[in-house]
Amino acid sequence: MVPPSSGPFLFDTSAESWLGRAEHPSISAWMREYLSHDEIHISAVTVMERVRGYSLLWRRAEKSRQERIEGARVAYLTKLGRVWPVDGAVAVVAGEIMALLPDPPTPPRQSHQLRESRQERLARWRFDAMIAATALVARVPLIHNNAGDFESIRTAIERSPERFPNLGPLDLIRCASLA
Amino acid sequence: MNRKPRFSLPLKKRRTTLTLPADSLTEAQRIARTRRVNLSTVIAEALSEGLRLQTVGERSEEVLESYKKAFSGFSDEEMSILDGVLLESVNRR
Repeated sequence: MVPPSSGPFLFDTSAESWLGRAEHPSISAWMREYLSHDEIHISAVTVMERVRGYSLLWRRAEKSRQERIEGARVAYLTKLGRVWPVDGAVAVVAGEIMALLPDPPTPPRQSHQLRESRQERLARWRFDAMIAATALVARVPLIHNNAGDFESIRTAIERSPERFPNLGPLDLIRCASLA
Repeated sequence: MNRKPRFSLPLKKRRTTLTLPADSLTEAQRIARTRRVNLSTVIAEALSEGLRLQTVGERSEEVLESYKKAFSGFSDEEMSILDGVLLESVNRR
């Protein structure tokens, strides 16, 4: 178990929603305890992914459902915690990660009749690199729900420490191990 | 230049009468004697800390409530989209 008081942590996009939706009492208790010490820290990339998602759902939705989606978007944006920018330092580190790992380490997602395009997969991979870079620059552990991608980044950084002077290692925490 | 004031301004205070649980009052008096401060100081500090915790608790609940609103009522596929994973129909490609 990761003590909530040992934060702050940076929350990856899917980790933030997983924890926000979790109904298991131990996860809720962990979140309450964490929030009594720290804000939820996220990357600006997470805000971008999330807002794009709400906007896409809103455009696809029937009129009757659009209000509900807009309400969800507003609820999300109203209580944002600390949002880390993609500044010069993050851009440099993210560029190094992308050069080390130009291709996504895992295949595009798919389910039944649906599939993620290669273009979308590459974009999402690069967003993950920016989020990992943000955690490195902010020197905070990254809570994630995507071991395939982030463990690859961690390993690549460990193998090329000369490209990440005075940074690292990338400290990763899986959502499921929180409580 | 932005200089910090050399002395902080004294907090505005008001006199009031409270009814407190006898045990709490006895404990507060013991702490005041140990620390060699007056009873008002101990009560004020305890109240201040209690109010801070109350505020933190309320803020935590507000954040959790907003997350519930932000993420509830969506299908798994819609949640994927909100997480930045955009899937499209295989037939469309």
